[in-house]
Amino acid sequence: MSLGASLRSAVKVGLITGAVMVYLVAVGIASAFAKREVVTGFLTLGHLMLVIPPLAIGYIVAGRPLPTSQRLTHALVAGLATGVLFAAAFLLAVALSPGIRLVLNRVSSSLLDFVGFRSLGLEPGTGALLNLGLAAALALVGGLVQVAPVTVRRAVVGAGTALVVMSMVEPFLRPRLLQFGLPGAAQFVYRSHGLGMVSAALILALGAVLAVGWPRMRSTVRSRIAAADPATRGMLRWAAILVGIAFLYTLPSISGSFLTQVLVLVGFYVLLGLGLNIVVGYAGLLDLGYVAFYAVGAYFTALITSPTSALGWGLNWWIALPIVIVLSAMVGLFIGAPVLRLRGDYLAIVTLGFGEIARVLLGSDALKPWLGGPNGILSVPFMIDDGTYFLPIVGKVTGPAATYFPLMGFCILAAFIAYRLKYSRTGRAWNAMREDEDVAQATGISVVNYKLLAFAMGASVGCVGGAIYATHLQGVVPGGFVLLVSITVLAVVVLGGMGSIPGVIVGAFALIGTPELLREFAEYKLLVYGAVLVAVMVLRPEGLIPDASRRAELEEARQPEEGELQVEYDEISGEA
Amino acid sequence: MTAADPEVTTDASADERPLLVATDVTKTFEGLVANRDIDFEIPRHSIVAIIGPNGAGKTTFFNQLSGVYHPTSGTIEFEGIDISGMPPHAVAGLGVARTYQNIRLFQNMTVLANVMVGRHVRMHGQWYQAIAGLGGIRQEEEATRRRAFELLELVGISRRSAADLSKNLPYGDQRRLEIARALASDPKLLLLDEPTAGMNPGETRQMTDFIGRLRRELKLTILLIEHDMKVVMGVSERITVLDYGEKIAEGTPAEIRANPRVIEAYLGKQATA
Repeated sequence: MSLGASLRSAVKVGLITGAVMVYLVAVGIASAFAKREVVTGFLTLGHLMLVIPPLAIGYIVAGRPLPTSQRLTHALVAGLATGVLFAAAFLLAVALSPGIRLVLNRVSSSLLDFVGFRSLGLEPGTGALLNLGLAAALALVGGLVQVAPVTVRRAVVGAGTALVVMSMVEPFLRPRLLQFGLPGAAQFVYRSHGLGMVSAALILALGAVLAVGWPRMRSTVRSRIAAADPATRGMLRWAAILVGIAFLYTLPSISGSFLTQVLVLVGFYVLLGLGLNIVVGYAGLLDLGYVAFYAVGAYFTALITSPTSALGWGLNWWIALPIVIVLSAMVGLFIGAPVLRLRGDYLAIVTLGFGEIARVLLGSDALKPWLGGPNGILSVPFMIDDGTYFLPIVGKVTGPAATYFPLMGFCILAAFIAYRLKYSRTGRAWNAMREDEDVAQATGISVVNYKLLAFAMGASVGCVGGAIYATHLQGVVPGGFVLLVSITVLAVVVLGGMGSIPGVIVGAFALIGTPELLREFAEYKLLVYGAVLVAVMVLRPEGLIPDASRRAELEEARQPEEGELQVEYDEISGEA
Repeated sequence: MTAADPEVTTDASADERPLLVATDVTKTFEGLVANRDIDFEIPRHSIVAIIGPNGAGKTTFFNQLSGVYHPTSGTIEFEGIDISGMPPHAVAGLGVARTYQNIRLFQNMTVLANVMVGRHVRMHGQWYQAIAGLGGIRQEEEATRRRAFELLELVGISRRSAADLSKNLPYGDQRRLEIARALASDPKLLLLDEPTAGMNPGETRQMTDFIGRLRRELKLTILLIEHDMKVVMGVSERITVLDYGEKIAEGTPAEIRANPRVIEAYLGKQATA
């Protein structure tokens, strides 16, 4: 590719970055995040939202396959493009102010003052120039980090990540430090709601050291493990599993009630994600109505266990569970049977319809005598002793932790089942069906049976999630089973990596956990979801933690020949 | 997967009877006749070929043998069992395995997993056994894995590629992997749809040699489909020629080569004039 073309492409991505920054400011996201302090009195998340894009664009552009001498120039050009667009938008906003607020109500004069560095006594024109210069400088810094040796790169990224993470966990970490009698530590680390200057510096250093040391440590540990004999390796694996379970077991006592509540929410989505992963990831059946199984599980449970339901049986939850699983698996077969012949998009549309039918039926007047219409079914008893019980070591368990323990148990069980199935005759038959239904059938796989099995399995796991949900809230209402649940679960599976079990867990933490921890997200949650999903699909189509076999494929594809690399680059920049 | 019980026969007569007998097979697609009244036999342990120009109805006939299509009229018997109405997976279970003209591997599965899937019909592990780890499931998996490695070696794919995704294999290896997948089901009849398509003369010779070896070493019966006459001349005992959906000739390679109708079908009317 010619130099001109690569420069044009650098300008283009720079302009796109500038547009993203203008958007972040204009719709008020940056101001919302400015309330979240990173280093008290010095740096907020809002600042970071404006600093990171030019840094990142410089880093990315300089990482392109160009002659070394050109890399920094390109980064600088991209940064200038970003800055020009941002500064121009700023000047335009100043010129149109205050009338602009009629259209963009978040663009207040104080926001413009802030963006234009009015506090330094600058006129709008000078402020715009300063913005332009800052963007270019930051992009150049990003480019320098990219060009620098790998150790430096790791150190910078590690330090930055450590700083942001440590400041973001303040609302949870500080109460814990106080709880465990370390008020001194709390006071040292946090000033007001952000980090103190000294602790920030320490955390930066620590992050850098860890990021540099970690890969070396990991490779040492790996080679040691690889060198060990099978018996030792087996023991190490069991030890790791035990430590993991011990950690999960004691987590609620350490994390406090709010974090446990978040963990419970994440746990529900892990469970649902593992179930949907069987249907979508293993068997390749795109199910957009998964919420139906969640709802069916919850309502069956409520019907059977609530003494005030139409049935009025008031059964114990644990006795009800097997009944609910069998009933839900039958519903799975019932839904699966008519759609057996449908593939791809058609299957997705029909299952979407089933999900909506379920929601409408649950709230309908026709079924009101049994399901309670919009009021749902209440007085569902808690699954263990009214929600307060004692566990060894942990002691008294109450509140969200009461749900946490059984839920975590079911998540582990579901992950175990998913793992066992994945590497079995059944799992391979599902995979084959996902890859090519006709060939799978010619290989001797009864496609009908295996599709129904996948639906029934997915339904069973989903209904267990619903059963726990019903007993957790001690009641069910139709409002909890909307389309958004189906879509979120699917997003969890896709984001994590289709067919990948660790992927589901990471996906659930990323999509469900993060918005809970960053409350400022709440208003923009769906916007961020959309952006994150688009970004992941473009940058990492295989998901965050791809299925092992798929990861192998992508590593293969990432070592192209010299000439091919050029073609790939042309395609990305759209200049080919 | 239920089928009519096979006729009880003595071993001797079973060996003499053809493995597969197609009688009066006609297949029409909305009035368009793809196969008309085809009678066809495959003797045991033979290599037979069906040839014909493009569009002669070879693949349609082939698809009826493997259960993908069902004949409009006529019957197909495999080991005395009528398979003409059976779904493909049931036919596969009886011992018919196939490959495809345009390679159709399970692309995002590993090479090893492709072969292991091929063994599906010879395995018994159910999902509940897999979850519980009971019913000898581990031994069965291990045996299947070992058999898969043996088959990879037989077709000549290196052990090192076993963990690669099948779509990343070179073209020739993909063809061989497809055969390994088919062999994994311990078939009695192997159907090969243009196994040398897209190969150069050297690779083609290697492939035909390999087909001969398969019959000798695995005691297989093999049906080849080709549009290129030269490929099948050396390797097959009997050749059936289709043109416009009808059988126009049948016989040994030498007979076929001399048959004026075949020459006409391949080269046009003028060639025989």
